[in-house]
Amino acid sequence: MLPGPSVHDVVVLDRTELARGVILLGFYAPELAAVTSPGQFVMAIPPGGERAATALAIYEAQGERASLLFFVCGARTRELAELRPGDKLSLTGPLGNGFTLESARDVAIVAGGVGIASVLLPAQRLAERGARVRLFYGARNSELLVDRDRFASAGCELCCATDDGSFGHHGFITELLAQTDDKPDLILACGPSPMLRATALVAAELGVRAQLALEETFACGVGGCWGCVVPLDRASVQAPKFPKTGSGDYVHARVCKEGPVFWAHELRW
Amino acid sequence: MVSKVDLSVRIGKLELPYPTLMASGCYGSGEEFEAFADLSKIGAVVLKSVTREPRLGNPMPRLVSTPAGMLNAIGLQNPGIDWYLEHEVAKFAKRPCAVVGSVAAFSVDDYAYVTERLAARAEIAAIELNISCPNVGSEGETFACDPDLTGKVVRAVRAVTDKTLIVKLSPNVTDIAAIAAEAERAGADALAVINTLRGMSIDVHAWKPRLGNLTGGLSGPAIRPVAVLAVYEAARAVSIPIVGQGGIENATDALEFFLAGASAIAIGTANFTDPRIPERIVDELGAYLAARGLQSLRDIVGKANAGFGTPFQYEGDAG
Ligand SMILES: Cc1cc2nc3c(=O)[nH]c(=O)nc-3n(C[C@H](O)[C@H](O)[C@H](O)COP(=O)(O)O)c2cc1C
Ligand code: FES
Repeated sequence: MLPGPSVHDVVVLDRTELARGVILLGFYAPELAAVTSPGQFVMAIPPGGERAATALAIYEAQGERASLLFFVCGARTRELAELRPGDKLSLTGPLGNGFTLESARDVAIVAGGVGIASVLLPAQRLAERGARVRLFYGARNSELLVDRDRFASAGCELCCATDDGSFGHHGFITELLAQTDDKPDLILACGPSPMLRATALVAAELGVRAQLALEETFACGVGGCWGCVVPLDRASVQAPKFPKTGSGDYVHARVCKEGPVFWAHELRW
Repeated sequence: MVSKVDLSVRIGKLELPYPTLMASGCYGSGEEFEAFADLSKIGAVVLKSVTREPRLGNPMPRLVSTPAGMLNAIGLQNPGIDWYLEHEVAKFAKRPCAVVGSVAAFSVDDYAYVTERLAARAEIAAIELNISCPNVGSEGETFACDPDLTGKVVRAVRAVTDKTLIVKLSPNVTDIAAIAAEAERAGADALAVINTLRGMSIDVHAWKPRLGNLTGGLSGPAIRPVAVLAVYEAARAVSIPIVGQGGIENATDALEFFLAGASAIAIGTANFTDPRIPERIVDELGAYLAARGLQSLRDIVGKANAGFGTPFQYEGDAG
């Protein structure tokens, strides 16, 4: 059978609390790791079975190990945070269309908060092929700027910002991006939607194309329920092929299926 | 050992090897789940409802999770029947299970028009009439909330197709038995019981409803007791088969519906928890029946329902 997405029964290898309420879970998951591309996600099937599955970005995928990095922010993530090495979990994936890395030579990656979970794979992939990678990383405070070392050792240049000024620039991370003198030739971003909107504006001003990994509430996560849509330019390559409706210049694309990564200039938000 | 048990069901002219349908709007066209579930181990996929004209659907947010369930307000986003017939329907022939079309509309004429065109296609094994969608203003649901309108629309649709017609009822009514009976009189081959319950969730920080559409449809385990009762009451009022649905997550839940009088079940929201649930339910149903020395699922249909008229349920079957 061709390798592709499936339901993977995986075993927890390691669990690290990177900061209070920020969990890194590593799994023995060779098949998942082998087919994951940067920017894709999984639906984590709840161990207790009683809730909807949780969409989580795939943080690392190398050799026999894949990992998930998440903030504990509700019953579902609390349940996942209780897992310990040796515990079993089922992950549906990898899902969605990730980043298109093209042949970019100089890439700015913008990450806010838990958005960091989506950008390690593209950062590693780009750095490995010799591209310059700058990580613009923002969070509420210095403690929540988790796992910076991993990005540094992957070869990224780091620029940080915090809301409270406890580390790096005191303010929004997109302000740092706007101030940059040497323009990247591609911008990738993942984070809360105000940050993504600001990134799109800065990218347009700089005249650089940007790909945004959107965060949205999912039900199915596989394109089956149309619960997670975003308005997309009708002419966009990612737009689902739909006939004209009303004014007809946009369509509703599924964030989980056509996305989660979209070109900023094709979004109609 | 489990394989000796007969789980097959008959819904009108439709013969299915398993009693499990995937609920409309929850399973795409089946293709979306093909990598995660064995579609040859389910009875049928009920497609997302299709309308005469294309629809962009409701504004976001369209989903809110609630205690033991969720609210949705998708708003029947679909490409419209013309596009659907031209670009989508041919693909359904590849599914290893039966494919049931779902039709929604805002007038009797449109129900008949869309049904006639969709039912004419060989890829479509049967038609489910969604006269009970709560997410398109109040108009959509008025059909399933009024016995006369239900009768009118079912008669109009019955006149344009011989294929199996499943009429999907709403729980948002005072007397579901009366509506069920009217649907049967008007020519329905089966009933789907129930669609979602109307509901709302409010953000107390923003002081506004959470859904873009303001109101939505409640599904999942929260609605299961309501659904079981609706099946129980409808089953006493009709002799056509019922596809029970509402919060089914495992074989025990499914058994409640069979015992109340459902001949088959549909699984919607549970697919969002784990796409392996439908296959697990089939295995566990087989094991349950085998453990009791029963040969056929049909033997337990309606057994908790004293008013249930069994002889009618499977006319045409041997024995
Ligand atoms: C996201 C979502 C979309 C739905 N869309 C439709 C639809 O298009 N047509 C329809 O007849 N029912 C639709 N339903 C209702 C389901 O088919 C099903 O009847 C209901 O959700 C109860 O079953 P459940 O609790 O197992 O989900 C939808 C339900 C959900 C959760
Ligand atoms: S979450 Fe179901 S289509 Fe995206």
